[in-house]
Amino acid sequence: MNKITLKGNIDGKRTPSRIFEEEIQDAVRQGAREIEVVADGQQGLGGRIWPRGEAVKITVEGPVGQRLGSMGMFGTEIVVKGSASDDIGWINCGAKITVLGDVTNGAHNAAAQGTLYVQGSGGARCDTMTKHNPRFDPPQSWYFRDVGDTFAEFKAGGIAVVCGVNPRNPENILGYRPCVGMVGGVVYFRGPIQGYSEGDVRLLDLTDQDWQWLTAGMKPYLEAIQRNEYYDELTRSKNDWNKLVPYTAQERAKKKIFKMSVAEFRSNIWESGVGKGGIFAEYLNHPVTVLPYITTGEDRRYKPVWNNYKYAPPCEYACPSGIPTQKRAQLIRAGKLHEALELVLQYSPLPASVCGEICPNLCMQACTRSQVDSAFNIRELGKASLEVKAPKRAKKTGRKVAVIGGGPGGLSAAWQLALKGHDISLYEAAGKLGGKLELCIPRERLPQEVLKKELSRFEEAGVKVHLETKVNKKKFEEIYKKHDAVVVACGAHKPRMMNVPGSDDMVSAYDFLKGINIGRVPKLKDQSVVIIGAGNVGMDVAAQAYHCGAKEVTAVDIQKPAAFGKELEIAQALGTKIVWPKFTEKFVKKEKKIYFTDGSSLDADVVVVSIGDTPMTEFLPPSVHTNKNGWIEADEVGHTSDPKVYAIGDATKLGLVTHAIGQGRKAADAVQALLSGRSYYMPAKKPLVPYEKIKTAYYDICKGEPFKPETEANRCMSCAVCRDCKMCEATCYYGAISRKEYEDGSYEYVVDENLCIGCSFCAGICPCGVWEMAENI
Amino acid sequence: MEPASRLDHNHELSVKDLPYIVRWRDDRCKRCGRCTAVCPMLSIEPAVVVKRLVQSEGMTPEPKAARVVTTMVKQTTNIDRYCIGCGTCTLVCPNEAIEPEYNPQHKFNFHKNKGGHPYRRGGRRNDPLPSTLDRLRFTRISMLTDPALDAGRHEFRIRTYLGRILPAEELPVKMVNGKLEADRATGRFIPPVREIYPVIIGSMSIGALSPTMWEGLAMGITYLNEVEGMPVVMCSGEGGMPQRLLKSRFIKYFIPQIASGYFGWDEIVRALPHMVEDPCAIEIKYGQGAKPGDGGLLMAHKVLKLISEIRGVPMGVDLPSPPTHQTQYSIEESVAKMIQSMSMAWGFRVPVYPKISGTRTAKAVLNNLVRNPYAAAISIDGEDGGTGAAYNVSMDTMGHPIASNIRECYLDLVRHGKQNELPLIAAGGIGKKGNLAANAAALFMLGASAVSIGKYIMQSAAWCHGDEMNRCNVCNLGKCPRGITTQDPKLYRRLDPEKVAERVVEVYKSLDVELKKIFAPMGRSMELPIGMSDGISTDDHAIAERLQINYVC
Repeated sequence: MNKITLKGNIDGKRTPSRIFEEEIQDAVRQGAREIEVVADGQQGLGGRIWPRGEAVKITVEGPVGQRLGSMGMFGTEIVVKGSASDDIGWINCGAKITVLGDVTNGAHNAAAQGTLYVQGSGGARCDTMTKHNPRFDPPQSWYFRDVGDTFAEFKAGGIAVVCGVNPRNPENILGYRPCVGMVGGVVYFRGPIQGYSEGDVRLLDLTDQDWQWLTAGMKPYLEAIQRNEYYDELTRSKNDWNKLVPYTAQERAKKKIFKMSVAEFRSNIWESGVGKGGIFAEYLNHPVTVLPYITTGEDRRYKPVWNNYKYAPPCEYACPSGIPTQKRAQLIRAGKLHEALELVLQYSPLPASVCGEICPNLCMQACTRSQVDSAFNIRELGKASLEVKAPKRAKKTGRKVAVIGGGPGGLSAAWQLALKGHDISLYEAAGKLGGKLELCIPRERLPQEVLKKELSRFEEAGVKVHLETKVNKKKFEEIYKKHDAVVVACGAHKPRMMNVPGSDDMVSAYDFLKGINIGRVPKLKDQSVVIIGAGNVGMDVAAQAYHCGAKEVTAVDIQKPAAFGKELEIAQALGTKIVWPKFTEKFVKKEKKIYFTDGSSLDADVVVVSIGDTPMTEFLPPSVHTNKNGWIEADEVGHTSDPKVYAIGDATKLGLVTHAIGQGRKAADAVQALLSGRSYYMPAKKPLVPYEKIKTAYYDICKGEPFKPETEANRCMSCAVCRDCKMCEATCYYGAISRKEYEDGSYEYVVDENLCIGCSFCAGICPCGVWEMAENI
Repeated sequence: MEPASRLDHNHELSVKDLPYIVRWRDDRCKRCGRCTAVCPMLSIEPAVVVKRLVQSEGMTPEPKAARVVTTMVKQTTNIDRYCIGCGTCTLVCPNEAIEPEYNPQHKFNFHKNKGGHPYRRGGRRNDPLPSTLDRLRFTRISMLTDPALDAGRHEFRIRTYLGRILPAEELPVKMVNGKLEADRATGRFIPPVREIYPVIIGSMSIGALSPTMWEGLAMGITYLNEVEGMPVVMCSGEGGMPQRLLKSRFIKYFIPQIASGYFGWDEIVRALPHMVEDPCAIEIKYGQGAKPGDGGLLMAHKVLKLISEIRGVPMGVDLPSPPTHQTQYSIEESVAKMIQSMSMAWGFRVPVYPKISGTRTAKAVLNNLVRNPYAAAISIDGEDGGTGAAYNVSMDTMGHPIASNIRECYLDLVRHGKQNELPLIAAGGIGKKGNLAANAAALFMLGASAVSIGKYIMQSAAWCHGDEMNRCNVCNLGKCPRGITTQDPKLYRRLDPEKVAERVVEVYKSLDVELKKIFAPMGRSMELPIGMSDGISTDDHAIAERLQINYVC
C-alpha cells in the first residue's frame, strides 16, 4: 500500500487549495492509497478521489477548510482528527467521512450516498437537501452530541442520527425548526427537542426494524468516533429514541389546510363563545338549516294560485251594463244555448235593441280575440236573444217602487225591480215607452220591430206603465208618498242651444230627430245643412238629413269630433263632411250662411245644434239636489240627497244607452238593499284582466263564417275564467296540479304544495290567465 | 289613446336593448321549471308559442298546414324585470339548456329610469379594465443582492399596526431595574395599538349582508384568530352588532363601525358594561368609495325582526344613513368630537379612526388627523369600492382611485416625517380582478399599512355572481340569488355560514402564501414593506410619474 503524507504548509508557505488539490489527485493517480494530510485550511479535501475500485484512506490533521470530502466517491474514507469546517461532505457520492470533533454549518448538505460520522455537534443547516438515489444505499449522517438550527431542511432521503450526548443546548438537540420541507428519509434522535415542522414531518416511536438498524449501526459508529463506552447508554432502550419521518406525497396531498373542521370549530369554539345557534339565533324565527335552490312547500318563494274569475274579462269590464259575455259563451260551449241567451236578460231588458243594434259595443272593442282575428260577435249574440221570453218574476214582495221615465234607464230599473218581485209603477210623459230609443234614434239604426218586440217582453215583467203622464211637482209628491222608493230616469230632453246671433233660427238635434221619428219629416231637398257639434247625435242628425233629401251636410265642432263607431260610418258614407275647429260667430238666416270666428263661412239652409241636452228636473222637491243646469246629483248607483229617491241615466249625466241600462240595474240593487233594510255596498268592480295573461297562441285564426252561437262560443277565449281545459294539469312537470270536483258539479284546480316548486309554468301557460303566482308568505 | 286590445309592441323594448340575452335551447329543455323557479328578477317566464308549418308533399302543390302550440321559457323585456345575467338559471338547469349572455350592444342606461327613478343598483363600478393596481409589478427581486428568502421555508411575520405609533422620543417610558416601563406619572396619553393581519374585511353591515353571510365572515375570521393564530379583523359596517357577539370574547376581532345613521349604537352602548373584551378598534364612517358623498338607505322591506332588534328601530321603516353626520360639518368638529367620544366609550383603550371616500381632499383630512393625538389611523376607500346600494351614476363616475390617493397621503406623511406614526388603510378595488395578494402588496409598497377588502371576499367566500360587466349587482333589491345581500330567509338560507367561514379561511391561508411569494423574493419577511416603493414598477409612464415609482418596459 502506497502511503504518503502531504503537507498544506511547507516552511510557513501555505499551499493554495487549487495546488493542494492537484497534489492529492496526483498522488492518488500515482498509486497512493493512504494519504496523511496535514492541512492548513485548504478547501474540498478528499473529494472527487476516483481510485478505480480501490480504497483510498485520507487522514486529515490540522485546520480543515470548508467542503471537506465534497463530491466524495465510493472507496474514499476520510478521517478528520479534530473538528471540520462548513459544508463537509457536500454532495457526498459515497465517501465515508469521520470527524473526531465538531462539524460546523451545512454538514452533509445534498449528500446522496456515503456516511458522515461526527464525534461532536453539527452546526446550523446540517443534513439539508440529502437524497436517496435508489441505485445505492441512502446516505447516513451520525451526530454524537446535537445539531444546530434548521436541521434537515428539504431532506429528500437519507438517514440522520442525533445521539444527544452532552448536547450544547440541553433543551433542544435538533435546533430551531428542523425538517422544514423534508420529503424523504428519516431523522432518529435521542433527547429533548422544541418543535419541528409539523406540516412536513411527524414524530413517531421507533419500530423494531428501526431499532435493529440503529443498534446495528451504532457499534461501528461509536468505534469510528472512539466512543465505544457509550454503546450501552445509547442502546439501552428503544424508548429513549424518536424519529421524524416526512408525510408521503399522498398524505401531503390529502392533508387539509384545516387544523380543525369548521363544523367542529362552530360547535366547540364559536357557539360555545356566542351561544347555541350562533350570533343571530335569538332574532330568527326559522330553522338555521340550509335550503336548496329548488324548494317546495312553505320554502318556495312564490306559489301558484287558481284565481278563477278574480279579474273581469275585457268584455264584461268594458260593458257599462256589466254583461258577463264570457259566461254566455261558457254556457253555449256546455250546450246550454238557451240559458246563455236568457242570461243577458238578467242584465238588460233590451239586448237585441241595444247590444244587437245601437250600442257601440265597447265589449267588442275590448275583446282579446281581436288580437287573433276579430272580436267575439257580441252584437249578433244580443240579436239572438230577441225571441227569449222574460224571466220568471220573484215572489211578490208587496213593496212599491215608482220609476219616472220610460227610457232605457227607467226600463232597466223597472225591469230589474219587477223581476225582484216588487210592484213597479212607471210614469212616461210620451205616448210610447223607449225614451230616446223611440224618439231620437234613426229607425235605420234601430228597426222598430226589434224595439217593439223587446218592449212587449218588458211588459211581461208586469210593470204598471202610465203613459202620457207628465210628472210635475205635485204629481211627484203624490208618487213619492205612495211608494217606498222612487227612481228618477227622466233623461235629458232640453236641448242646449247656442248663445250667438241667429240662434233662434237654429233647430235642436233633439227636436230634429224626434220630429222625424214621430212623423214630422222636415223638407230638406237640395238644401245645405250645417250641424254644430259633431258627436254621435250629430252624426244621426247628418244621416237623417240626407234621408230627408239634403244636398250636403257639414258637421262642425270646436274640438276633435267625438263621433265614433257605426254612427260616424253611416254619416260619412252618406257624404257628411266634418270640419274642426270651428267656433260659430253667427247664423244669418236671410243669407243662408253661418259664419265662424276664423272669418270663414258655410252655406246653411238649416242649422242644427247638436251640443247636448240637459234634463228637465224642476218637478223634483228641494230634498233632491240638482245643479244649476238641472242635473241631479247622484252617485254611480243612483243615490241622491234624498234617501228614497234614486236618479240614473241622462238625468244625472249624459251617456250611452248602455250606461243608462247599467245604472238602472245598479240602482235596482241599491233600492233592493233599501227595501230589505240593509245598507248597500256597491260590489267592487273587478279589475280588468291584463291582456298579456291571455295566451292567444292557443287560438287559430278563423275565417269569416256566418254567425252561429255554437261556433262563435268557441271563439271566446274565456279571459280570466277557467275553461277547464286541463292544460295546467298536463304541463306541470311535477304533477302538482289536479282537478277537484265537488258534488254540486263545481270544480277547482288545486296544488299539492309538497310537489310544487313554484316554477310558474301553470301561470305561464294558462290560456285564460287564471293561474297566478303569489308571494309565498 | 288606442284601446289596449289593439296594441302589440308599441313602446316595448326588445331583448337587444337589454344587457343580457337569455339563450334558451328548445331542444334541450324539458320544461321542468327549475330556472323560472329561481330567477331572482322573474326575467324568464314560461310562455306559450305556436308554430305553424305548411307542407306540400304531393307532385303538385297540395298544401297542408300543421299547427303546434308548445311551451317555452321566454325572457321578458319588461325593464323592471330585466335579466341581470346572474346565471342562477344556468346553475340549476339539469340539461344545460339556458344561459344568459352579455349583450355588448345593450342600451340599458337609456331605459333604466322608469317612473323617473334613476338607475340604482348594488355591486361595483362597472369598469372591466385593469386598475392601476393591476398594472403594478414587483420588479426588485433579491438576486444575490439581499438575503434570499424562501416563502416556503422562512418564517414570515405578516402583520401591521392599527393605532398611532408614538416616536421613540415621545414615548412616556422610564427605566426600572434596567427595563423599560410605561411612565404613567407623566400623564401623557399612550395610544392603544393593535397588531393585526394587514388585510381587513371591510365594513359590510348586518342589513346590507344577510345574517348567514355576516355570521359566515365573522366565524371565518374568528377561526383564523383562534385556530390559525392569524389576527384577521373585520369591520361591522353600520348596522349594529348582535348582542351575543358584543358580549363574547370574540369581540376583540371586530371593528364596530359608527356612521351617520348611528344605527344599533344604543344597543352597543348598553352592552358596554357586559363586554368582556374591548373591540379591536372603532371605525367612524364619513364616506365610502363606491358612492362618495352619498348616503345609504336600508329599504323598509329589509327591516325585519332581526334588523329591527339589532339596529334598535321599528320594523318596516326605511333606514337612511345620510351622506353627512348631521350635526357635524367641519373636519375639526367631526374629527375632534367623534374620535374623542368613541375613545371615551372604551376608556381610551380602543383605537378610533375615521374612514373617508377617496378624494382629492384626502390630504386635508389626513393633515388634521396627524395633529389629533387620539386619531388611530385613516381609512381611505377608493372609487372601485363596492356597495349594497347606490345610484349608478355615483358608482360609475364618482370618486378617486385609491392608488394615487394613498400614495400622495403617504408621501405627505413622509414629508412630515410621520409615515410610521399614523397608519393609512387603503380600500376600494383590491382584488378587483382576482389579484388580491398582488393588489394588497402593491398598496403596502405605495404606503398603506393595511387594506380593506369587501367585494373580493363576497365573490370568493360566498360565490357572489357580480362582476364588472354589471352581472347580477342587485344587492340593493334584496333579491341576491346567493343569499348574500338579502334579508329574505328563503334566499339567505341558501348560504351556509359554515361554508362561508371555510372559504374565508381558505382565502386567507392562500393569501398568506401569496403575500410570502411576493415578499420573499423581495427580501422581506419580518416587517410589512410599507412604502417600499422602489420594489414596484409599472409599464405606464404616466402612472410611474404620478406614483413616483419606477417605469419599466
